[in-house]
Amino acid sequence: MRQLSAPIFDIQRFSIHDGPGIRTLVFFKGCNLHCAWCQNPESQDVEPLVAFYADRCNGSFDCLKACPQDAINRDGFRINHTKCDNCLACVEACSRSALRPIGEHMSPEHLFATLVADLPYYRSSGGGVTFSGGEPTLYPKFIDQMLDLCNDEGIHTAMETCGTYSPDRWAPILKKLDLVYFDLKIIDREQHKAATGRDNSQILANARLLVETGIPVEFRLPLVEGYTDDRENLQDTADFLKALNQNRLHLLSYHNMGETKIDIINGSQNKLGLKTYDATRFAQIREWFTERNIEICDE
Amino acid sequence: MNVELQREHLLDESEWEPSALVMKLASDHTSAVPSLGAERAIHYTEYYKRNTETSAAMTKAGALAWHLQQRTLNIHEDELIVGSHTEHRIGAICHVELAGYAMLEDLFRFEKRKVNPLHVDPAAKRKLMRSVIPYWLTRNLAMKAFPLRERMKYLASQSKAKEFTINEAGGIAHFLPDYGTIITLGTEGLRALIDTRLSDPGLSESQREQLAANLIALGALETFADRYRDLAQEQGRADVVELLTNVPRQPASSLHEAVQMIWFFQMVIQIESIDQGISLGRMDQYLYPLYLREKASGRFDERHFKDVFCAFCLKLSEVIPLFSERITPMFSGLPNGQALTIGGCDSDGNDASNELTFMLLDVLDKFKTRQPNWHARLSSKSRVDYSQRVFEVIAGGGGSPALYNDDVIIPSLASRFDAKQHLWNYATVGCVEPALSGISFSSTDAAIFNYALVLETVLLRDVLKPRSKNAKSICTMDELIGAIESELRCQVGRLKTWLDGIERANKDRHPVPFSSMTVKGCIERARDLTDGGADYNASGIQAVGLADLGNSLAAIDTLVFDSKEMTLETLALACKNNFAQEPSLKARLTAMAKFGNDDARVDNYTGQMVTLFDQVISEKVNTRGGRWMPGVYSMTCHQTMGKQMSALPSGRSKGEPLADGIAPTDGSDCLGPTAALNSVARLDHSRLANGINLNLKFDANTVKGTKGPLLLGGLTKGYFTQGGMQVQINVLDPAVLMAARMTPEKYRNLLVRVSGYSAYFVDLTPEMQDEIIARTRQGAG
Ligand code: SF4
Ligand code: SF4
Repeated sequence: MRQLSAPIFDIQRFSIHDGPGIRTLVFFKGCNLHCAWCQNPESQDVEPLVAFYADRCNGSFDCLKACPQDAINRDGFRINHTKCDNCLACVEACSRSALRPIGEHMSPEHLFATLVADLPYYRSSGGGVTFSGGEPTLYPKFIDQMLDLCNDEGIHTAMETCGTYSPDRWAPILKKLDLVYFDLKIIDREQHKAATGRDNSQILANARLLVETGIPVEFRLPLVEGYTDDRENLQDTADFLKALNQNRLHLLSYHNMGETKIDIINGSQNKLGLKTYDATRFAQIREWFTERNIEICDE
Repeated sequence: MNVELQREHLLDESEWEPSALVMKLASDHTSAVPSLGAERAIHYTEYYKRNTETSAAMTKAGALAWHLQQRTLNIHEDELIVGSHTEHRIGAICHVELAGYAMLEDLFRFEKRKVNPLHVDPAAKRKLMRSVIPYWLTRNLAMKAFPLRERMKYLASQSKAKEFTINEAGGIAHFLPDYGTIITLGTEGLRALIDTRLSDPGLSESQREQLAANLIALGALETFADRYRDLAQEQGRADVVELLTNVPRQPASSLHEAVQMIWFFQMVIQIESIDQGISLGRMDQYLYPLYLREKASGRFDERHFKDVFCAFCLKLSEVIPLFSERITPMFSGLPNGQALTIGGCDSDGNDASNELTFMLLDVLDKFKTRQPNWHARLSSKSRVDYSQRVFEVIAGGGGSPALYNDDVIIPSLASRFDAKQHLWNYATVGCVEPALSGISFSSTDAAIFNYALVLETVLLRDVLKPRSKNAKSICTMDELIGAIESELRCQVGRLKTWLDGIERANKDRHPVPFSSMTVKGCIERARDLTDGGADYNASGIQAVGLADLGNSLAAIDTLVFDSKEMTLETLALACKNNFAQEPSLKARLTAMAKFGNDDARVDNYTGQMVTLFDQVISEKVNTRGGRWMPGVYSMTCHQTMGKQMSALPSGRSKGEPLADGIAPTDGSDCLGPTAALNSVARLDHSRLANGINLNLKFDANTVKGTKGPLLLGGLTKGYFTQGGMQVQINVLDPAVLMAARMTPEKYRNLLVRVSGYSAYFVDLTPEMQDEIIARTRQGAG
């Protein structure tokens, strides 16, 4: 039997904005939405890949000599991702750190060893572990096991999701979590589909179900100019929360760092050319929700 | 017994601000021109020229008295605490018979130098030139410590300070006067103690002389204080006259008097010997009985007390060390190391924080001054409101107070000193060193030792140029560590010879009859502090370059002994050539596992170096009968020492700084503060009884808001429960971020708040970095 594993593209220790206390944030690779504004383009694809930082490259082509798959391009983006089998020989050969692997398959035990190293800080700060992504719900079996390991040690757990999971598959797993961060993006079905590539009926149904089953949940809304911040969507979001008797919302502001990351993976995502979300507009929206008795939590 | 802490009657933190009067004092302080305090040099020289035949103790006491009789005095407008170290408001004392002579090498440069310029009065300059410098040319401490050949070697070595720097050569310092007792005795109480001892017929001649010298020194302080009172009278300062009526002769009857009395002693101690690490001890504890008395009688005025304390902090900041341009890089930032300890436990081990603790924290929070060095004791038993307040103050910026873990320090001191009944009352000395309050002379900053140089010597000499044909080559990790040990013993032996020489010279030529009265044991034994008079003695020796060693050993193990990719000779040669021919080897070495990333293998090598250092250092006993104590801190010596070193197998290039204190090498910890703290805590801190220094940096945005103190507290407690001894947390201002922008490789571990999450500053685009800098500017105000 193949050992259980999941592709992880980053582990951020001392994360302090994704749940209470000092946390370790685990980023799973792979996502089933394709939001136009995705800020972690390197997380969308499930498979690990090699990123290329062109500004660090000195053209030595040590990578070319090292590559057994003839997957190094002489011009343009250094890695031919169709030929590459991710052996990472080139990464080791490059003396300029111009090549960097993104994503690594990890077993639950391996990942847990890293998480548990910060146990003293979780305890002293009331923190824990947050699973993020990409979309962590792509890996139910893996997360289920992680949750058992964490719960055995009394580690607080949280998960960030876009809500695209199968409710039946996830019902028993969600119960093991201490907190769910649930992203609402666009309430209108058509617009949601246009911006993310997927219908949102399951997402909204999952949101309702979470509230009904009494699993602690915090809703979040990323503010992206021209996509999620129009008056209708704000109103829809407020109505949706009210219908669920929810009076809290986290607002996240868009920042454009993701766009520089498109280049390092040679990604196909279109650049929106947006600036970091305007602070004044952010404040106005906060105010707007507050007036409607929805408490805004922002970091 | 738990202190019944009642904070209800105190002002709320947010309610109190330093008064307009104190703010005015602060602005006067800032506008005063830092100047050379030449009078001490001139007066001491006059005295020494006339008196050659009496004992060293009598000469020193006489010179002190002569100086304090005629030192120019000033009482500045509105001052709440009076008295200055020098004839200037902000002054550098010139201890001419000690290191002050060597510092005069800058006499014509003091004013023009870029870093820390010092004004020198022209008339004073002429006097120094004409009669002071020529006299001391052949008579200063270093000249007298060694026979000629040794002396030349010593001077050559110390002018570069590559192997080690002997700080005690500047005169003795770094101890904790027993201020708690002094404020209850006054000078007359001290005199009574000395008189009683003098009536003992069994005293030897030298003991009698020592006590006589004590009395002269005590009288010197009284005269000094009287002169201030007379001046106050002349200036019509009735408040000051009143303040100086009781103290310093009588026990302090109010907090204000106690602080003024401490200030007189602090000044005279720093005038007598050198102004380094004379520490204030647990002020919130020993002032507490007076506070209770004032409170009970209804006299306590919180605002006034806090103003007095602000004024005291300004006074502590008036003295600046006299360093020449050559010395400054080793100790930059004008350190005097007047440590002030707050919090901690009582004799039963219970938390002892009290109302004064909180009031002092308010002062620190709202009134930041260069001195004192604020240190807070914490433990697993600390009161929640106390530790919360401590972390609030830290989150506000300024890097203070630094934090000390009782749960590690007390057992660590217990393993060194047979002093069970005193351990709870430890306080800190200087920058980071724990010591027994008022009863010890731990000379905690005796020397700073370049530990990384030991490896360099093994590689460049033993490996590349074996002294004899049949010198055994190094074929295993154990043999390498064996070679490091024998070279360490050899270099430490050299340090010992010289440090012993300096200690003897201090005892023979520069006893401290005044300071000796302030530490328990000296009067009872009728022996000087420099002569083992204190109840407990030690010498603190600090290692520099610990992480560089751990990183290098891990790299050598991987490349040479494990994968056998190269020989030790090849690697040593590459280091010698500063990787000139092998840039890819340097890149490879740099990318290898480093201390500070929670990697047990590297951390354990680093830990092995801690054990070895402890073993070799702790075997030694100083001339005062105290054991050497190891510590790991570097002031700024990691830069000056690193500058003179070749490349190392860690991938560090020639001339680059070594690691700062016990911290990972700059920029080599890439997994955030929890991982770095885990690595540091994996070392056995209890072996490092003389203290460690760990600096953590955060940008102001990361720790802003109500969550900030909780995070810093959580981080510190997580580290302390794993055996961490000390940490200092710096919340950064935008200037540091600017520096990070210029040299990002040095700031790899700098976390900043982006939007909704934290990021490593260096991982951000230049534009994003600019944005963060702009934002921090607003956030940190
Ligand atoms: S080895 Fe690195 S620096 Fe050299 S060509 Fe390849 S990517 Fe560029
Ligand atoms: S990862 Fe391996 S296969 Fe892919 S480009 Fe690098 S060397 Fe070639």
